Amino acid sequence: MTAARPLPYADPAHLAAHQFLVEEAALLDAGDYEGWLGLLTDDIRYLMPVRVTTARGAGFDTLADMGHFDEDMYALRKRVQRLATDHAWTEDPPSRTRHFVTNVRTFRNAADALLVESALLMFRSRGDTREADLLSAGRADLLRETGDGLRLARREISVDESVLRTQNLAVFL
Amino acid sequence: MDLAAMLADVRRGMIPAHVYADPEVFALERDRLFARSWVFLAHESEIPDPGDYVVRRVLADSFIVARDESGTVRVMFNMCLHRGMQVCRAEMGNASHFRCPYHAWTYRNDGRLAGLPFHAEAYGGEDGFARAGQALLPAPSMDSYNGLIFISLDPDAPPLRDYLGDFAFYLDLYTKQSPAGVELRGPQRWRVNANWKIGAENFAGDSYHTPHTHASVVDIGLFREPKASKRKEGALYVAGPGAGTTYKLPPGGDFADQLRYVGYCGEMIPAMTQMWSGQQRALVADSGFMVSAATLFPNLSFVHNWPQIDASGKVAPFISLRQWQPVSERETEVLSWFAVDAAAPPQFKRDSYKAYLMCFGTSGMFEQDDVENWVSITEMAAGSMARRLKLNSRMGLTSAGQPIKPPMPATAFAGPGVAYQGFGEFNQRHWLRLWSDHLERAPAAAVPADIGPAGMGPVVSQNAVSRGAAR
Repeated sequence: MTAARPLPYADPAHLAAHQFLVEEAALLDAGDYEGWLGLLTDDIRYLMPVRVTTARGAGFDTLADMGHFDEDMYALRKRVQRLATDHAWTEDPPSRTRHFVTNVRTFRNAADALLVESALLMFRSRGDTREADLLSAGRADLLRETGDGLRLARREISVDESVLRTQNLAVFL
Repeated sequence: MDLAAMLADVRRGMIPAHVYADPEVFALERDRLFARSWVFLAHESEIPDPGDYVVRRVLADSFIVARDESGTVRVMFNMCLHRGMQVCRAEMGNASHFRCPYHAWTYRNDGRLAGLPFHAEAYGGEDGFARAGQALLPAPSMDSYNGLIFISLDPDAPPLRDYLGDFAFYLDLYTKQSPAGVELRGPQRWRVNANWKIGAENFAGDSYHTPHTHASVVDIGLFREPKASKRKEGALYVAGPGAGTTYKLPPGGDFADQLRYVGYCGEMIPAMTQMWSGQQRALVADSGFMVSAATLFPNLSFVHNWPQIDASGKVAPFISLRQWQPVSERETEVLSWFAVDAAAPPQFKRDSYKAYLMCFGTSGMFEQDDVENWVSITEMAAGSMARRLKLNSRMGLTSAGQPIKPPMPATAFAGPGVAYQGFGEFNQRHWLRLWSDHLERAPAAAVPADIGPAGMGPVVSQNAVSRGAAR
């Protein structure tokens, strides 16, 4: 699905994609979820399949029909609305998160779209007694050129654990 | 620890808070409860074809749940008979054989030892090691119901159907909606720093938490029901080793109307009408109650809710099975499956899956706030002060120990067991009574097995479930 080679790092399209991901991470770490929704296209697909431990020869390490997320704009908007209520206890007090985005590779997908692969490490700290959580994942994003700049049209998150070590996914990756 | 005093407190509805973070209590649970009780492992739909397997645990014990070449489901302790290596280290797949990585001892997918290298040279053949008839240790007891595969570490466990008792009536409502039965997807798995009992108790009967813990999902219009005024109209029931909560449906509808109200599509209603008994239909149609959360003792829970899944207000119901797998007194692995009638139309399955993901599981908007509470309880229960605190679990009882209102008559609640309308901790006390009964019993007898001396009889599993036998 991807072109054979990523764009050179100096390519303006790669630089724009990289900047998009960094700016997006800044919004998430600031808890600006309304701002984050503004970076998504109306037809967003936001996926995070369940990873599983299988033999090397099994031919799969991801469940085809079960995810941690499989969201459209309605579902994401509900999640953001919920976090904005006075009753979203799991994020009140809020987690302190840091989204570390690296290993960014950009591929030209179409005249108006880029495929961007990145590695994500999310640090999440809650309260003052608990150990912090780490979530490591690869992401494959489809960024579409719009009149307002790049927008995220599809994200598939490939989490690196089969058993997540965080109490929930009241966060976005 | 004064076990007798602790259990006496629990039985009068006063819970010593430390039980939610106490390593001594956890050791008793391991030795006296999980070494005896029926425990859910998997559903037959997860291993539909010969060779399909999943690996699941009961606490620290790993089991392979496999469908052998003849279609029979086997449950085998995942430890090589030779040096004790974990034979299968994947969590799912398809295999005709399992080969131990250490010395290449190889087992068929029914557990029988198929070969070991250099049998003649190393052991002198059958005399030194009787290969014939050897097999991975079978689960001491195994049984299934509606395709749900359970094991017990007690070889003398009662038949599963006897154990389920009146709870089977309610179990059917989640897992028998058509002749095709239910199919499970997942599970999502994650670890939470919470004691396993808290989730089990919550799902058994805590309708009281819904209006507040889950206020946010009402705020955003995702769910019509959890408002306090709705929740206190629901009935709580206790039946056999299970207990659960229900919602009161709007008045006036017949069976099909009520199923449509919670979002079942027209194509599914004839099969549900056919599969459910008159009494099961009456619970919905005449009594006007729809099952919601439930727990089958000890650690398998169910949930059935019906959120609005799109901007048009379309309502779709979903079912989830979930297991609270103890890791330690302070940590639990949650396994959460999406369950749906296997014969449901594809669009219904898509809608129901969306409803599930929005509400429960790792990212579910209900579940998120539940786990926050349970982690916090476990943290608070671990200290010294918690040993002074006996939590009041007497909701619904007078000071003399009588229910503040009578149980519902069969004319008002058609299901079996004992039901009360409104809030109460009847169900949690029931669950804790079963827990107390286990904790004061001596551990179940365990028969050690020598492996391989000449003349020893075979230990091939006798407790398999043939395809279709569960339905």
